Amino acid sequence: MSTTVGLVSFGVSGNIYSVRKALEQTGATVKIIKSKDDFKSLDKIVLPGVGSFKEAMENFGDFKTIVHDQILEHPTLGICLGMQIFSKIGYEFGETPGLNLIDAEVKKMEVKCKVPHLGWGKLSIVEKSPLLNGITQKDNFYFMHSYEVVNYTDVVALTNYCNHKFVSVIQKKELFGVQFHPEKSREAGIAVLKNFVKL
Amino acid sequence: MPLRIIARLDVKPPYVVKPVHFDGLRKMGIPHELAVKYYNQGADEILYEDIVSSLYQRAIQVDQIYQTSKDLFIPFAAGGGVQTIYHFEQLLHNGVDKVTINTYALQQDSSLIRRAAEIFGSQAVVVHIFAKRWRDWWECYSDCGRIRSGKNALAWAKEAESLGAGELIISSVDRDGRNNGFDTELISNIVSNVGIPVIAASGAGSLEDIKNMVLLAHPDAVAIGSLLHYNRTTVGELKSYLADHGIEVAK
Repeated sequence: MSTTVGLVSFGVSGNIYSVRKALEQTGATVKIIKSKDDFKSLDKIVLPGVGSFKEAMENFGDFKTIVHDQILEHPTLGICLGMQIFSKIGYEFGETPGLNLIDAEVKKMEVKCKVPHLGWGKLSIVEKSPLLNGITQKDNFYFMHSYEVVNYTDVVALTNYCNHKFVSVIQKKELFGVQFHPEKSREAGIAVLKNFVKL
Repeated sequence: MPLRIIARLDVKPPYVVKPVHFDGLRKMGIPHELAVKYYNQGADEILYEDIVSSLYQRAIQVDQIYQTSKDLFIPFAAGGGVQTIYHFEQLLHNGVDKVTINTYALQQDSSLIRRAAEIFGSQAVVVHIFAKRWRDWWECYSDCGRIRSGKNALAWAKEAESLGAGELIISSVDRDGRNNGFDTELISNIVSNVGIPVIAASGAGSLEDIKNMVLLAHPDAVAIGSLLHYNRTTVGELKSYLADHGIEVAK
């Protein structure tokens, strides 16, 4: 039986299709989640992310509590903004409360180089995680973000940008998050998704 | 940060075409096939520009874009004739990660940049600047370099940044499709005046042209079309060549 992954659609902003396609590459069955009933008979949840923190949270509306509760019941992977909204609070276009699943805040990257950080980066793995099985510090991952998660307790990997190390992978029990886009990171990205699907 | 190599597909549906100085068009192939070919060669991103939608005042053909994106696992930027938030949404739901805009924002309403950035994030909003060199300034053109705007390219680049654009593509009206080198001064001027990534497009005639421009102007990415379409090089060969000349690329 293939694993069924629920891909949470949050309104206008998600790049659902790219993530779906990449998850299907791993052999998973993908179900798009738009309402409470869609969460039935799922093995895992993925929160994709293209958009702003504020827009994403506003789009959730009443769905927010349901998503929050379902994440606690399923292994979940957040991608980019999908990971960022696990935080307590975000500062993109004003101050917005997040899902409050990890002790973190989301702040604009403060570096001397260009923001958004667009392009390939590597992982410095600081904590072992099943999500990164087979991944080495030589693998390239694609980043596309202006904001970063500021967290100290659940860090699995850091990435260096312009002599600034930011959190690129987190894990808190069965909650996983990646700042890069695995669906845009060639074979290495598919390998990370496969690790998640196989958990 | 490694320099990104972007394969550029100028599309007049259903074909990738090669505009020769924005005038004659030659058919180069099918977008999906060329996108996959360059993906397999190691391209870091694919850029798809529907070069006729603005001109014909019709919406971009989303099905073509969806088809093109379907076997890519790298970032895919697309645009052409984008005028509304709905257009952004359509593209982003059809395999596109970054939407490129030019004409409408330049000639009609620049607030589209801000509105889109607020909804989709700056990283999804790429402003494509087509600049023509005059004696001591560069002027922005709309409609893939056909229509004047009177706007100074450097000022427009800064304005686009302040409105929330996440990236700029710089094409040169004088150099596009001519394969006789980049307008390095234009690229350099824009790179040093904005804080967002800049993609240098237009003009690559040889590997050496690319290397020389990169070493002088320091863009974040280079978009190439005809060198690839005419099989005069491959992305892999270009990356090796640049690496041999001390330019960091992702392999």
